[in-house]
Order: sequence, then C-alpha cells, then structure tokens
Amino acid sequence: MEEKAIVVQNLGKQYPHVKAVDNVSFTVDKGEIFGLLGPNGAGKTTTIRILLTLIQPTSGETLIYNINTAKNSEDVRRMCGYVPQDVSADGDLTAYENVLISAKLYGMPAKERKSRIQEVLNFLELTERAHDMVNTFSGGMMRRLEIAQALVNRPKVLFLDEPSIGLDPNARRIIWGLIKKLRDEYNTTIMMTTHDMGEADILCDRIGIMNRGHLATIGKPAELKSAVGGDIITINSSNPNCFQKVKELGFSTITNSPDGHCDLIVNNGETLIPQLLDGLKARGIQVESVSLKKPTLDDVFLKYTGARIEEGDTYAETRRSRRAFTRRTK
Amino acid sequence: MKALKAVGKYFSNALIITELELRKIRHDQTQIWVRMVQPALWLAIYGLTMSKLSGMSSFIPANLTYLQFMTPGVLAQSALFVAIFFGINVVWERDLGLLNKLLSTPASRSSIILGKALSAGVRGMFQAVAVIILALILKVHLIMTPLSIIGVFVIIVLVSMCFACLSMAIASLVKTRERMMGFGQVMTMPLFFASSAIYPIAIMPAWIKPLAYVNPLTYVVEAMRDLLATGNLHTLPLDFLVIAAATVLFLVLASLGLKKMVS
Ligand SMILES: Nc1ncnc2c1ncn2[C@@H]1O[C@H](COP(=O)(O)OP(=O)(O)OP(=O)(O)O)[C@@H](O)[C@H]1O
Ligand SMILES: [Mg+2]
Repeated sequence: MEEKAIVVQNLGKQYPHVKAVDNVSFTVDKGEIFGLLGPNGAGKTTTIRILLTLIQPTSGETLIYNINTAKNSEDVRRMCGYVPQDVSADGDLTAYENVLISAKLYGMPAKERKSRIQEVLNFLELTERAHDMVNTFSGGMMRRLEIAQALVNRPKVLFLDEPSIGLDPNARRIIWGLIKKLRDEYNTTIMMTTHDMGEADILCDRIGIMNRGHLATIGKPAELKSAVGGDIITINSSNPNCFQKVKELGFSTITNSPDGHCDLIVNNGETLIPQLLDGLKARGIQVESVSLKKPTLDDVFLKYTGARIEEGDTYAETRRSRRAFTRRTK
Repeated sequence: MKALKAVGKYFSNALIITELELRKIRHDQTQIWVRMVQPALWLAIYGLTMSKLSGMSSFIPANLTYLQFMTPGVLAQSALFVAIFFGINVVWERDLGLLNKLLSTPASRSSIILGKALSAGVRGMFQAVAVIILALILKVHLIMTPLSIIGVFVIIVLVSMCFACLSMAIASLVKTRERMMGFGQVMTMPLFFASSAIYPIAIMPAWIKPLAYVNPLTYVVEAMRDLLATGNLHTLPLDFLVIAAATVLFLVLASLGLKKMVS
C-alpha cells in the first residue's frame, strides 16, 4: 500500500462535557488538499491539534508520513507547518523577525536562512512590509505572514485552520490562489478546515464533512454533490403538454404542472440543455425559459447531517476580528 | 553522541526563545526604564531613612552600614518583583494564540520555558545595573571585584529565572491574567518580608524565622550580601545550590504546566 501523508484511525477526544471528536477515521494522500468542513464546534480544530501533537487524543491513532504522532511528537512537528485559527503572528515584532524566529526554531541552517526568508516573504508578497511592526498589519497581511511562517521550513504537510476567516473577498481570493500554488509548485500536502461551502468546493480535492464530532461523509466535491442527486433543470413553457414531450424524449420529470412548468433531474445538465431544447422544438414546444441548478455542498451537508450549515457571515466570523489582539479567556 | 546533539538542540531552542523575547524588549524599551524606578526608590528613600535609625545597626552583622546591608536586599527584591509577574505574559500569549503556535514547533515544552525564564534573567540584569550604579552614587561601599560582580549577575539571572518559572507554573493553574495579577501580589510580600532583604533574620518574630529559612529569596540575599558587602564566601556554595535547586524544580513544574495551558 502506498504511504499516506496522514492517517487518522478511530480518533476520539473526550472533554469533560463534550465528545469533541468521536471515532473519526480518514486518510490524506501526498500532495492532496483535504478539507474538513463543518459548523462551529464540529471538532475540526481539535482534530488538527491532535495531529500536531498539541493535545492528546483519548482514543485512536494518528500517523503523519507513517510516524506515530503520539510517540514521536518532535519528529512530527518538524515535518509540519501550522497556521492556527486564531491570530498567531507576534505583533510586537517585525514581519521579518517573525519569520526568522520560525526558521530558527525549525532548525534551518544559518546560511540558507536569509535567502529562504526572503523567498517566502516574496512568495506571500510581504517584502515591502518586511521590516514593519506586525501590529500595524491588516488582517489579510497578518494571515499571509502566518502562512509565510508556516512555509519557511518547507513543510511536507501544512495545516491551515480556517485560512480565510475574517478576510474580505479580495484577501480571501489571494489566499486561495496561494494555497493552490503551494500544492501545484511544491506538492505540499494540505489539510485545511472551513465552514465555508464555497471555499471547500473551490480548493479541496476531497472533503470530509464533520458535525458534532462525527465524520458524516467523505469524498470529492463533485462525487458528494452527485450523491445528492443530479442537476435540476427547470423548463417553462406556454405549452401545457410540455412535460409529456419531455417524457417522450426519454427524461423523467420530478414535478410537472399543466401550465407548462417542469423540473427534471439529470447528470451533466449543461450538455443536456441544447439537446433537450432541440428535441422540444422539433416536437413543436415553445420553451420560454430554462434554468439549471447544480447541487451545492450545502445540499450535501443537509443530506448527511440533517441540518443546514449557517450561511454567510457566521458567528465564528464575527465573533472575532482578527485584527483585534484580544480574545476572551475561558 | 545522539544524546549530546539532543542537549545541544534543547539549549539552542531555549536561546531562540530568549532571542524572541529580547527582540520584543528592543522594540519597546520603556518597560526596562520604568522598572528601574521602584528599586531606586527603595534604596534612595527607604534605605536612606532607615539608616538614621540607630537601633538597627546593633543587629546588623559584620559591622555593615544599613545601606551596605540593604543594597543586596534591594537587588534581590527588584528581581523578585518583576519575575513573579512573568506568568502574566504567558497567559497573555496563550490568549493571543502565540503559545499554541510556539508549541507546534519542534521546540520542546521545557526549552520554551527555559528560554522565557532566561529572558526574565536578562531583564533582571538591567535593573541590577541601575541599583548598583545608584548605590555607588550614594557612596555605599560595595566590594567591586570581577568575581563579586560576575557572581552577583549570575545570581540575579538565576533568581529571576527561579521566580519567573514559579510564576509560569502558577499561571498554568490559574489561567487568567486577572487572577495571575492577584497571585503575584499575594506572593511577593510574604517572600519579601520573610527574607533578610531589609532586616536581619535575628530581629524577626520567632514564628517567621523558619519561613525565612525555606524561602529561596533569603539565600539569594545572603549570597549577594556575602559577595558585595561582607566578603565572607563560606556559605556561598550552599546558597547557590539552594537557588539552583529551586530554579530546576520550578522549571520542571512550569514545563509540565505548559502542556495543560493550551489543551
Ligand atoms: N479545551 C477544551 N475544553 C473543553 N471543551 C473543549 C475544549 N476545546 C474544544 N472543546 C469543545 O470541543 C468541541 C469541538 O471544538 P473545536 O474547536 O474542535 O471545533 P471547531 O470545529 O474547530 O469549531 P470552530 O468552527 O468554532 O472553530 C466544541 O464543543 C468545544 O466546545
Ligand atoms: Mg476551529
């Protein structure tokens, strides 16, 4: 069997009042972007922190590049990079110093250090602000700096905990571009968490859907979506027997009304529409409008957990302005 | 060979953490200056006033003047008062999420604690310099040989580390800045008063005396007093041993606590 980048087996973490992670198992291939998707309190951060040896699991086993994280925690940490959910760049230092300290702690030899730091700062477009104090940075710059810190030792596995939380759409797109580039250029294995359906869809090769400590399902975004059912095509026509003609063409409709409106579930809606329209025209049906709805991960989430994930600006996003240097203490 | 490498790695990681802390101090030096004020007041106001009390001198050993007697006490006190609040920084860093990130690096828990403690030691040195200079300005007669100066700075670094580790160990239990502030205040006074910093143990009430002998600060004060004032170095090794043992003990406790702090 080919060696996996990450193996998680029957992982469990019990806190006094909640089971944060409950019998979770999955694997991540080398060079893959794997996303854990779930609402607040799903157990995403807990899973990542166990993999990074920051907390002990109550049951189960985790391996990174075949190294047992519980037994060889230092070796594991040396291979990994981590961008935590909360602000983690040090505001009382310059950007350069932040990266410098990371480079040193990861044991980078002194002669490579300088060029390597310049390289990551450049990669994250921070060169111009390298010698400014970090407490003057915007949220997006701070996030990029944190990624720079995590990348400086060229990690084999990068953990990104809600990488775009609290960022504006532009900063978010920049981060997304970076994540893709990182995988494409350096073949870094990336494990990230998010509660943003769109983000998971755009970035991840595979997604695990988590809810209340359970891994509800796992798969490629397209697979998951097709499991919900196919695309939905809605046709509006002034011709009342439209749905009969649709059936004659070999499609099954899910709703049909005598006023000429019908919905049908298909695979590959885009390619079928022209065919469908030509067929209907040939049978003398005047189609007024047609629309295509692709299933979303939201539908997937609904199907597997029986609940809808919060949308848009969620509590988690507003809870904490990433620029604010304070966090409520427990 | 492998073990040697691991030890080297351990200390080099600790020094990187110290570097991190010192870089922060370099960006904001006001705290260093502000912290020189308090010990200066103790020496210049309390010290000069108490010197006028004639009754005290009969209890002070080895014919020292009160200021000679007290200067080592103020040195110890200045280190204690700053280091005992060091845990607040760690709670603060935990709240900011900095600690989480630090713990995800290959550096071990105890090398992080050691590094932070060392940085407390460096801060302590700045104050010590200020106190010694002020004492010399006040014409306090101090023994100023290379040995005594090096000895005093080693002790200042150790005592700062010792109480910074104690403070970090407590921080891992209390977990909030406010409570940590309270604990710091509750601890400083007993540690300070149950030591020979500003009066000899001989004149203490009988019930405090045993406390003074288990208080690491007493050994710190005695060691510096021997180096700077009496010149009698007989008990110096014992003093060093006690301070070093206390430092190692608190370092271990703080390292164990650090894990708890972020989980
Ligand atoms: N130190 C802790 N002590 C007790 N309970 C905890 C602790 N850390 C996390 N939990 C609980 O474990 C559960 C999972 O938390 P976790 O942080 O892993 O969720 P998450 O999926 O990352 O959520 P979010 O989107 O809010 O970041 C939550 O119910 C949380 O309250
Ligand atoms: Mg989280």
